[in-house]
Amino acid sequence: MAPLTPYTFIQCPCSDPSTLARSGDVAPSDADDDDRTFDPRAPRANFSLYPLEYLLYCEDCHQIRCPRCVAEEIVTYYCPNCLFEVPSSNLKSEGNRCTRSCFQCPICIGPLSVTSLESQPDPNLLAAPDHTAAPQAGPYILTCSYCNWSSTEVGIRFDKPNSIHAQLAKLRNGGEVRLTAKERRERRKEALQSGPVGAPAASEGDNGDLDIETQFANLKTFYQTQLADSNPGGNGLSLGDPGFASPNSLSRIMSIYTGGSLHDKKAKSRVGTMREALDSDEGLQIADLDETDAIKMLHEEGCDGTLSTEQLRNQPPHLGGAHLHGRSRFTSELRPIPYLLRTKRSKRCPICRHIISKPEPKMQSTRFRIRLVAGSYIPSITVRPLNVPGGTPAAPPETLRPLQPAQFLLTFKNPIFETVRVTLATPATTPGRFASKVTVLCPQFQIDANTDVWDEALKDNDRDRRRRKGDDGPSQSSSSASAQLQGQGGTHQAEAGKIWERGRNWVSIVVEVVPASLRLDLLPLIAKLAGDGAEEKVNVSPLKEDEDLLEIPMFVRIEWEVEGGGDEVGAAPSRDREAKEKKELAYWCVLGLGRVGQA
Amino acid sequence: MSRRPPRGEYIETDTGNKVARKATLVGTQNIMLGGKTVIQQEVMIRGDLARSVQSSSSGGTPASNTAVAIGRYCFLSRGCCLRPPGRLYKGSFTYMPLRINDHVFVGPGSVIQAASIGSHVHIGAKVVIGEFAIIKDYVRILDGSVVPANMVIPSFSIVAGQPARVIGEVPEGGHETFELRDLYKTVGNNLPPAPS
Ligand SMILES: [Zn+2]
Ligand SMILES: [Zn+2]
Ligand SMILES: [Zn+2]
Ligand SMILES: [Zn+2]
Repeated sequence: MAPLTPYTFIQCPCSDPSTLARSGDVAPSDADDDDRTFDPRAPRANFSLYPLEYLLYCEDCHQIRCPRCVAEEIVTYYCPNCLFEVPSSNLKSEGNRCTRSCFQCPICIGPLSVTSLESQPDPNLLAAPDHTAAPQAGPYILTCSYCNWSSTEVGIRFDKPNSIHAQLAKLRNGGEVRLTAKERRERRKEALQSGPVGAPAASEGDNGDLDIETQFANLKTFYQTQLADSNPGGNGLSLGDPGFASPNSLSRIMSIYTGGSLHDKKAKSRVGTMREALDSDEGLQIADLDETDAIKMLHEEGCDGTLSTEQLRNQPPHLGGAHLHGRSRFTSELRPIPYLLRTKRSKRCPICRHIISKPEPKMQSTRFRIRLVAGSYIPSITVRPLNVPGGTPAAPPETLRPLQPAQFLLTFKNPIFETVRVTLATPATTPGRFASKVTVLCPQFQIDANTDVWDEALKDNDRDRRRRKGDDGPSQSSSSASAQLQGQGGTHQAEAGKIWERGRNWVSIVVEVVPASLRLDLLPLIAKLAGDGAEEKVNVSPLKEDEDLLEIPMFVRIEWEVEGGGDEVGAAPSRDREAKEKKELAYWCVLGLGRVGQA
Repeated sequence: MSRRPPRGEYIETDTGNKVARKATLVGTQNIMLGGKTVIQQEVMIRGDLARSVQSSSSGGTPASNTAVAIGRYCFLSRGCCLRPPGRLYKGSFTYMPLRINDHVFVGPGSVIQAASIGSHVHIGAKVVIGEFAIIKDYVRILDGSVVPANMVIPSFSIVAGQPARVIGEVPEGGHETFELRDLYKTVGNNLPPAPS
């Protein structure tokens, strides 16, 4: 297993800690709440822990916000392949996929290119900067450069190299052209005008031949005529008529599926029943339950020929296809997948509704109008192993050795222009079956402000002038101290109550851990030593996934002062304008240190 | 003051590029470096694969025949390869330029045949970017991905897999992690740890 890089995850306050108890293996007795530590292994913890980059910050609530609790609003829709923006009005009529020529391979989901069948090798027609060079000869096909699938496998070719989406909608697998809804309507009109009404004029085919879209259209017209024909009299009796065949229910159902356009107030009072569709012109479709072909296919192609769940999920509904009637599909009938549109979204604070992130609406722009990220408000915490005695920055050990003390360096970097006080708290032992001991050597310290930009220039020189500081006083740069540190090399020792190193706007402290042994046979013994009579209940089941992971829950409280703004809700009106206002923010985070070896 | 051996591991140019002596740059006259770019050892850049068919407008002047253009603060890790993509154009085969913008990190052992790569792009280790792929700004491509030829990757995508697909979005707080200025400073012949 690859060695784990240490990490820090932060818990968003939107997850109520009182709901985070581990239901399975925590004894009900420790349900008294206030001093319960956050358990990073609780199943719910997965959903509330985020790396700092994923968190936003509301300046009005002074609180962290995470992807789970922010309210999103779509600013722009665009195709991730041709990068054209799609107006939201088009979405309603044309759906949430690109309607140009952007398709994904139904087998491997790689991008498909339009290729001319005639002058075979030009797989880069779409990427070509000038289309004038493209050979005009058709027919064209879609090909996947990754797995070599091509639309010829389902017998689909195109006459034109552009607007493939519209062409594909008319093509069935095998290349048969089907009528569009519009053409069908026109044909129907012609039929109605020429032939006598009611005669089965210009039937579109036999019962088996109705595709999904046609069937829906036929049913819709059928029910519309039924509704129009039904007796509009008989007021006030509507309540006692719950049958599906009643005009009332029907108009309600139809308004659901047709976006309310059919809803008709007069329909409220219709009573009685109506007949159902009788033939394919009216939308009757007899289910084809003959599965001989499918069974034969299965025999021929085996499991490999059937779809994976993912392929099935990626396959958009093909309205021009025949009803599946519960039949499963084969890879040999998959159609190209039009790209799903992507969005740019702005985000609001769930509590105060202020916008905390808002991208520039233009697709091509990567700028943000508002971008309040947690990283500019709360200190970042980085973890790295500290190799004490040798002083050599050798490669960190792949795993932590059980029962062997190990030291880690936590570096806190302050992003704000004020000095912050940090208070840390961890449980003495990590939660879970294998309790590792944790000691934060310096749980309280101060980090200097992130001073202004003009310091940036000095930063480069200053960066490596690190200086060990015994106390928590104001920082000062002194090259002699840094030289001293260089000279001391490995003799630098971690001491309780003292920070390890400090810089312009950062402080490093040491955390010592004694990883627990993962030996299951020791568990009852440990429980016995603890002497709480729980040894009977000791869980000696085999090691679960990630149970060897050493994760430390840590409570972080940061305090700082800002110039008395007075505009804060609930802030006491300060008499003195110069008075500083105290701010405080507290949250749980999790330090992932590594995996404990099984020795 | 410090007397260092004249031959460091890197050749440092006037514009601040740091090119490892053990990197292979073929056809250097067709390779453009924007400055402050690091090219580590065993990197190969195929500047020799320049466009052989001139577009009709530029009447045969071979003046600008850039095969590989790289912006500022790019970092090409050990053993990666940049190779211009090629295709048929008006009936004959030609290479097309490979353009890379600023702050692009290319991981060790990766092969790049894209048409263009935007700014602030992180390409992991052992990644293959197929011919004529277009990668926009703020994109992270995870280790071992195979980006198919002609794929377009929009801004703020996290991409992984074989074939690569978009598996997530770069979060708002993650933009700064693409900055390569600090990484640039960690590489070179006379590195900082000599203050005073
Ligand atoms: Zn949240
Ligand atoms: Zn598109
Ligand atoms: Zn494919
Ligand atoms: Zn808020």
